Amino acid sequence: MSARPLRVVGRPLARIDAIEKVTGRARYVTDLVLPGMAHARVLRSPYAHARLARVETGRARALPGVVAVLAGADLTWCDPYFGPAFRDRPILAIDVARHEGEPVAAVAAVDEATAAAALELIDVDYEPLAAALTLEDALAPGAPLVHTREPLAGHFADLSSLRPRPGTNVCHQFHFARGDAATALASADLVVEDTFRFPAVQHYAMEPHAAVAAWDETGGLTVWASTQNPYSVRVELAKMFDVPLARIRIVVPHLGGGFGSKTYAKLEPLAAALAHAAGRPVRLAASAAEAFQTVRRCSARVTMRVGFGGDGTLAAVHCDAQYDVGAYADIGPRVVQKATYTATGPYRVPHVDLGGAAVYTNTTPGGAFRGFGVPQLAWALESLFDVAADRLGRDPIDLRRHNLLGHGEAFAPGDTPIDGKFEESLGRAAEAIGWTLAGAADRGRGLATMLKASIGPSVSEAIVRLHADGSVSVLASAVEMGQGTRTVLAQIAAEVLAVALARVVVVTPDTAITPYDQTTSSSRSTTMTGRAVQAAAEDVREQLLRVGSEALGLPASDLALEDGAIVTATRRLAYPEVLARRFGMAGGELIGRGVVAPGRSAAPLGGSTPFWEMAVGAAEVSVDEETGAVSVERYVSVADVGRAVNPLLLEGQDEGGVVQGLGHTLFEEMAYADGHLLNGTLLLYRVPRADDVPALECRFVENADGAGPFGAKGAGEGSLVPVSPAVANALARLTGVRLRDLPLTPERVWRALRARERRAPGAI
Amino acid sequence: MLRPFALHRPGTAEEACGLLARLGDDAVPYAGGTELLLLMKLGLLRPRHLIDVKRVAGFDAITDGARLTLGAAVTHRAVERSPLVGRHCALLAAVARHVANVRVRNVGTVGGNLAFADPHSDLATLFLTLDATVELVSGRGRRELPLTDFVRGAWETARAPDELLASVRLTPWPSGTAATYVKFGVHERPTLGVALALCRAAAGARVGEARLAIGCVDARPARVPAAEARLTGVAVAELEDVAGAVAEAAAAAVDPADDLHGSADYKRAMVAVFVRRALRIAAARARGDVAPAARFPHAVVA
Amino acid sequence: MIDAGARVPIRLVVNGRARELAVATHALLLDVLRDDLDLKGAKRSCDSQVCGACTVLVDGLAVSACTYLAVEADGCAVLTVEGLAEGDTLHPIQRAFVDAGAVQCGFCTAGMLLTARALLDEHAAPTREQVLHYLRGSLCRCTGYRKIVEAIVAAGGGDR
Ligand SMILES: Cc1cc2nc3c(=O)[nH]c(=O)nc-3n(C[C@H](O)[C@H](O)[C@H](O)COP(=O)(O)OP(=O)(O)OC[C@H]3O[C@@H](n4cnc5c(N)ncnc54)[C@H](O)[C@@H]3O)c2cc1C
Ligand code: FES
Ligand code: FES
Repeated sequence: MSARPLRVVGRPLARIDAIEKVTGRARYVTDLVLPGMAHARVLRSPYAHARLARVETGRARALPGVVAVLAGADLTWCDPYFGPAFRDRPILAIDVARHEGEPVAAVAAVDEATAAAALELIDVDYEPLAAALTLEDALAPGAPLVHTREPLAGHFADLSSLRPRPGTNVCHQFHFARGDAATALASADLVVEDTFRFPAVQHYAMEPHAAVAAWDETGGLTVWASTQNPYSVRVELAKMFDVPLARIRIVVPHLGGGFGSKTYAKLEPLAAALAHAAGRPVRLAASAAEAFQTVRRCSARVTMRVGFGGDGTLAAVHCDAQYDVGAYADIGPRVVQKATYTATGPYRVPHVDLGGAAVYTNTTPGGAFRGFGVPQLAWALESLFDVAADRLGRDPIDLRRHNLLGHGEAFAPGDTPIDGKFEESLGRAAEAIGWTLAGAADRGRGLATMLKASIGPSVSEAIVRLHADGSVSVLASAVEMGQGTRTVLAQIAAEVLAVALARVVVVTPDTAITPYDQTTSSSRSTTMTGRAVQAAAEDVREQLLRVGSEALGLPASDLALEDGAIVTATRRLAYPEVLARRFGMAGGELIGRGVVAPGRSAAPLGGSTPFWEMAVGAAEVSVDEETGAVSVERYVSVADVGRAVNPLLLEGQDEGGVVQGLGHTLFEEMAYADGHLLNGTLLLYRVPRADDVPALECRFVENADGAGPFGAKGAGEGSLVPVSPAVANALARLTGVRLRDLPLTPERVWRALRARERRAPGAI
Repeated sequence: MLRPFALHRPGTAEEACGLLARLGDDAVPYAGGTELLLLMKLGLLRPRHLIDVKRVAGFDAITDGARLTLGAAVTHRAVERSPLVGRHCALLAAVARHVANVRVRNVGTVGGNLAFADPHSDLATLFLTLDATVELVSGRGRRELPLTDFVRGAWETARAPDELLASVRLTPWPSGTAATYVKFGVHERPTLGVALALCRAAAGARVGEARLAIGCVDARPARVPAAEARLTGVAVAELEDVAGAVAEAAAAAVDPADDLHGSADYKRAMVAVFVRRALRIAAARARGDVAPAARFPHAVVA
Repeated sequence: MIDAGARVPIRLVVNGRARELAVATHALLLDVLRDDLDLKGAKRSCDSQVCGACTVLVDGLAVSACTYLAVEADGCAVLTVEGLAEGDTLHPIQRAFVDAGAVQCGFCTAGMLLTARALLDEHAAPTREQVLHYLRGSLCRCTGYRKIVEAIVAAGGGDR
């Protein structure tokens, strides 16, 4: 192909689903109505840990209008256990409920009111058990065990290496070492060390989880699901219900936000079981309060020791991270493993000794959440970096720059070399926040970096179809959850095939129609699914050129694609004509296929990351010393994205990421007392509002050096990760107070400020 | 999702009270429903009859005279926009503008707010500085009682089950009053509310009478006589000098508990901080300073 | 009195079209719009009047349809997101949301648009402060709000 300037890729175009969304026509799972559809409600455990002595559903079954009632004991006709890391989560609690809000029984009825009434007729005798509610509880000797038998291995081969530690609440441990950290730390000129805490946080995707399940006359199952990875859900359902993959159809309409909360199966198994029992379609729509009981971010306690030479060169990092994964492992073990592996951030560290543990507790299961474990560790590392800079008398940016991994440098043997220019991001962020300029006396500035691996190995496939009228269908299973993936995939296809964006339709993910894609997470879609779409479109282009070359009697190298046509210096053959030549009639289509399957590698996690997500954040804050209220006045995020396929959407992603990060930095924390969640509704759980948003600039470093289409790479998580340490670093530089626990609530900051005054009267 | 109930829409207070008396425990008054329907959706309350008070004659009226009367079914939005409220108590309009969010203000009522007696409310706190009385009606007649006696504790009032809250009556401050209301908190509902009025406190004069009420930190809002006493008679120019003592008196008067809004210590300390701030704002207003309104993070100043 | 469980006839003008319906006293406006009238644009999220996803306008006033009895809308004009555009012509606020990139997952969008519409009806050219005040009860978990605020200010003709 002759290199021609990009026409569609790289432009700040409105999203292709914008009109359907602003007119209210976009459809989400809860908007679907099927003939004969029943409505489900779930009875949930009021206890953090209890034995189910008796679950009596007879009266509920007898209520007119009820079409199915299920309790754990009824699930003998299927394999009731699921979970990506371990199959430790039953569809409905069997014998034991392990967290408050765990589904114990469920009803499907002609309407929700009847289902709700039936729930009240179910009698459950709970025998409360001692519960492990915090990391401390769970790790104490003789702690109550959340799971008493070894959980079954999960359905995913790439997760089969996970192992719980028998007789404890540790469900997985990960260790990564290089060099000799102990010796290096012992001889380092400076060692900074501390323990940091990161709270349990609710995703609060505006759309709570929902699924509509229907079995058909052939024994096939269709589930319309609010899921980020239809293909993973399909595998789980196939195994649980013993149905061939080909007979399971997972359809994913628009998602009302995901942020990781909708990865892997959540409500789908229960919806499918109810539909099976009811013999008709069942709609299961969680309330927002139920979402709080379904999944959350893993809280963590991280102890880190970082050693430096006198010149500021990093010598060693020792990390001991404990993540609270709640009552069921979900994807928590992988969160721990992947994050711990990159605990050293974007720095060159000769000696590392990194340990991470996933720990069960009797609380809402912890799973994936934007950043996938990295925010918890960056909170520790990036805070300690500023502590070290202080102790070394170095500028914090300077100290970071001194230790950054360079472009092309190895992160770990066998893994993808660093594929971006941190130096540039750091410089841009410093400049935008005015790092070297004098600031107001009542403002403090702070900065932090992040590095995150995407998922590897992972597979994406795509099909592109060029129709007789020159319009294009893209078939791919990346889920549109707001991040703009449909638009980006359409832009890629439009670019390769030289058609207008409006001529491209991205088909709704449907495992019966759109090809395999591993997951919509880990910021991977633009790179992986995008490459598959690019390859599929290129396949169509080759076919077009072949036909065109025959038709025009010219070598393919003399032809170009432009504006929906094959063109030469003198001739123009529109696609419909090309297709007519190919098929001899006004039918038929060109079908292209694209596969991206990097496979396993020698990288420490078994697969190389397809790209590194890299970002820098800089904050300017003020504090109301009397109340402890921190105001983030300005925030700059710079992400190294290779190329912004759609700068408007990308900017929106990063703005959203920063503000979500402000949530757990300033307010958000799921608060438990005695095993009960105290703030499981928006009346009590505070997420950021419009008036919390600082002056916000999200910028990009674009060197077209990413592994994705046109040099793009993944983004969207990076902007969130540095927020907490950047804000805390700014606060520390302003007040001299270093906080180790998130969120930085006014009271917490106020207490720290008072403690400082007691230590150093009169000091600022 | 709600459970079924019968809906009654009486046009007169007599009729409404008759229903309440007849239906007893099965019936509850219903105004905007912003609190009531929430409880019912959660199944915490399961009334068989709702008595809509919005059509009761006179309940949606705002009238003036010796006192400013707000009918129980007056919405926050109506308070915010009422010319009468603006004339007699502009601060009340400003406070109404910051209650909850625009949707709750559009349907939520003054009567519902007071009758529900949620500790985290703005109105009752402010009303205490306006010598508010509430008017209750029932088949047995009408009675008027001070707001202090009406609000008994968290979600607890002196209203008998067969009584309706008909109105709240406020005594507008005398002219020359400098006042402010400040609320603080990161949560949906305020963590702390401070209402302060310095009556007959023109520039150059002495404070004729001070009224200070603290809300949200205790089970019910309350005036702080000890702090008020420290303010009365103080020259406007010297208010700053007593700020510390006033704040201390206010902090000593509250008895908060640890909860999601914060520890008791913190709340008590914030009472002191915001009383001091409120005093500074009111003093500036008394002096006629037209300095831009003070802004504090997570706080609203009215 | 309307008996528990009984269906009462109500008349509304929904998006300019007169409708007659029979609803139970306990029917919530959100469910009637979504289920009886098949207007799925308004969404249920928090179900507690905090997030604004369910916002519709009743006689021009924003209400939380998740916590508002349908019978209250009897005799009223109800505007939902489906009624904002005139045929194929987007309302300026819809246009502004599209152009500013103020839409991501779209779950908050209907509520945001109607809240903005109510604001613009009150203040034709709202300031940033007025927009922020009005959005106190409108949550978006995707966008970080910047583009939403920008879009509303722009729709009022203000500076971006
Ligand atoms: C999200 C949210 C945020 C809020 N934030 C604030 C805030 O910042 N500040 C603040 O002050 N308030 C706040 N509120 C409370 C709000 O002011 C009240 O919800 C509202 O005013 C209640 O009025 P209503 O008409 O809807 O009452 P309803 O819900 O109709 O009734 C509430 C209670 O009062 C009873 N009742 C109602 N009217 C009468 C009557 N005339 N006589 C006797 N009993 C009666 C009912 O039986 C019920 O028990 C908030 C509420 C919500 C939902
Ligand atoms: S769903 Fe009604 S306000 Fe959130
Ligand atoms: S666009 Fe997703 S919640 Fe606002």
